[in-house]
Amino acid sequence: MSEMWINMGPQHPMTHGLWNLRVQIDGELVRAVDPEMGYLHRGIEKISEDRHYNEVITLMDRCCYVAGMAWEHLYILGAEAALQVRPPERADYLRVLCDEFQRLGSHLMWYAAFVQDLGLMSPFLYGMRDRDLVLDLFQSFTGARMTYEYMRVGGVRNDLPPGFADRSRKVLDWLDDRFREYDALCLGSTIFRKRCDGLGVLKGPEAIAHGVTGPMLRAAGVKRDLRKDRPYSAYDRVDFDVALADSADVTGRYLVRMEEMRQSVRILRQVLDWLDHHPGPVVADRLPRWLGAPYAPVGAEGYLLKRNYPKGLGLSAIEEPHGEALSYVVNDGGEHPYRVKFRSPVFANLSAASTYLVGYHVADIPPIMGSVDVCVGEVDR
Amino acid sequence: MSTVTLYSVSYDLAHDLLFLLGWILHYGPAAAAVENPNVVTGLGVLIFAAILLAASMLNTIVLIWYERKLLGRFMDRRGAMHVGYAGLLQNFADGLKLFRKHTTQPAEADHVGFYFGPTAYMVSSLVIFGILPISTGWNSGALPLSLLLALVVFSFAPLFIFVSAWSSNNKYSLMGGLRSAAQMIAYEVPLLLAVVAVVVVAGSFSLTTIVYEQQNYWFWGPLVVALVVFVAAMLAEMERIPFDLPEAEAELVEGWNTEYGGMLFAFFMLADYLRALVGSILIVLLFLGGWTMPGWVPSAATSFPLAGIFWFMLKTYLVFGLFVWVRASLPRVRTDQLLRVGWNRLIPLSLLSVFLAAALVSVRCLPVFGCVPSPGG
Repeated sequence: MSEMWINMGPQHPMTHGLWNLRVQIDGELVRAVDPEMGYLHRGIEKISEDRHYNEVITLMDRCCYVAGMAWEHLYILGAEAALQVRPPERADYLRVLCDEFQRLGSHLMWYAAFVQDLGLMSPFLYGMRDRDLVLDLFQSFTGARMTYEYMRVGGVRNDLPPGFADRSRKVLDWLDDRFREYDALCLGSTIFRKRCDGLGVLKGPEAIAHGVTGPMLRAAGVKRDLRKDRPYSAYDRVDFDVALADSADVTGRYLVRMEEMRQSVRILRQVLDWLDHHPGPVVADRLPRWLGAPYAPVGAEGYLLKRNYPKGLGLSAIEEPHGEALSYVVNDGGEHPYRVKFRSPVFANLSAASTYLVGYHVADIPPIMGSVDVCVGEVDR
Repeated sequence: MSTVTLYSVSYDLAHDLLFLLGWILHYGPAAAAVENPNVVTGLGVLIFAAILLAASMLNTIVLIWYERKLLGRFMDRRGAMHVGYAGLLQNFADGLKLFRKHTTQPAEADHVGFYFGPTAYMVSSLVIFGILPISTGWNSGALPLSLLLALVVFSFAPLFIFVSAWSSNNKYSLMGGLRSAAQMIAYEVPLLLAVVAVVVVAGSFSLTTIVYEQQNYWFWGPLVVALVVFVAAMLAEMERIPFDLPEAEAELVEGWNTEYGGMLFAFFMLADYLRALVGSILIVLLFLGGWTMPGWVPSAATSFPLAGIFWFMLKTYLVFGLFVWVRASLPRVRTDQLLRVGWNRLIPLSLLSVFLAAALVSVRCLPVFGCVPSPGG
């Protein structure tokens, strides 16, 4: 068989979303790849300009459908910086709680999808089963399983329901136990090691040159985690280690994500303990009046437009489950953000596809892309 | 005294049917047909084939149900639940759905190959059931070369898969077909060599004789190397995880059957499970003593009517359960790794197993397993 181009996507089991990987293959070998994104573009950034600051939050949930809470957090930090609002301390901790549960949910989803790409059937369902527990917890305090709309400019929507801490601790204990099982099913399997060791190698300097972030970067041995390097919310007040691996391959990314899940559990235990002992308000009391109302009351539109509020620029960066995400919110004094811009970590990670896909087999593409952890919603926005 | 076999039952049934027909119709030629042995034999063969077809299809469908339930348990879920008792009728519903569906053919596909591939794949898989003996009364396995014939028909499959893959005019199908051909050819060799080890010990190519040779002890003990090779090669031949790369859904969508839908897809699906059933049956026949039971089992458990078939099916389903277990717990290997394992590991191992079998026959008696009967039974 001579060289030919095949389209892996936009509807292909490997893509885990809606994007297209054009692959030039020579027999079973990958010669060149050309990722094509944009199939899921919904114009979220543009729509945000016509929305109230708090209304943008609903879009953030739909931005990344497996890590909605992290994207809410990202936007909220940018918006708060632009509007010069400070949340109360309890809200900071609640946001860390949301973030870390979201990281657990997202990584469990990644685990399920990744092992499925390798042909492992049971762990796929184990991952989904355990992610369900996290979603149940989310449901118990936000009312939703995926589109939470929980965070608000200046805090969060509501406090935790009674009994939440106990339920969470039970889930965390269960998960701690399950991680051992996951490792046994993957690292304990010779076939898994043979498939994943030395696969999809992306070394540190190259990764940095391509703007690759998150677990992919840390798997290359680069110690960069915004939660440590540039702490936001309450991350400077919790104790955790940055997960690192130095093999820069698929196994390394697996190890980093598993370790991150363990660290998330560790952070969550601390946060839950703190929340138990520090009751308090979850929304800042000094908020701009119009932030409370999603729509202008009839007849008051003119008033809202004419109000005089300080202008500002907000830039925030968080360590999202997939990598480093940035948000840039411009407040021109109007009731809507003048401009909202995001940096998607997965977009950068995907754009570097030719550096870690070329030279491997066609059969290696799914595990490698699985180890990248693609979430197309945030790529295309 | 002649033993009652499935074929003799079919023959008697044909005879009685023709007699009844002649009696009801009061028509000379119909009544005379009873006296014509050719007609009776022909009808008997047809009835025999119909019984086999029904039995094998029914077993296949139950096998799929069994796999779904077992996989469900491995995965911490329940499997099919809603149609029939514990989802027993789910596969019939699925089959009916596939049967109703319109068969679409890609625009540039080769019409003849597109239809010929799945049909021939299905038929060749069904034919094997005419060769395999299920119990003592199943004299079809007594053909002197029945084992060879079964394996020959079994190895037709890559050709038909390749034909259907190539004629689908789809790059994924073509890659799947090529992988399938490479894999099956690579694993045919160790499979046959492992069988040679059994044949050397049993001294016969007849499946019935091979089972009778296992009255003293089953072959899995002394021929454990051959069993390992045979099971591994059989997994590859059945294209099940960890060797399911021809239809690796992660990278090849559905591999060689990507373009198929409706009844043609059902043919592939059924044929896959028919082959899985054949694989399990062959393992039971060659290594696990077929329908025989070891001496320590109380005779009440081995002598009730149809006990042979019962024990045979039980063993077959247990063996298939092992395949399901493997499927539930192992990842998929890569093409080059698969071929490397096939050529570099399994073939030397199978040669070793032939050597061990030859040694066993020369030594005659083993301390644990007992004595080998003289070749040829």
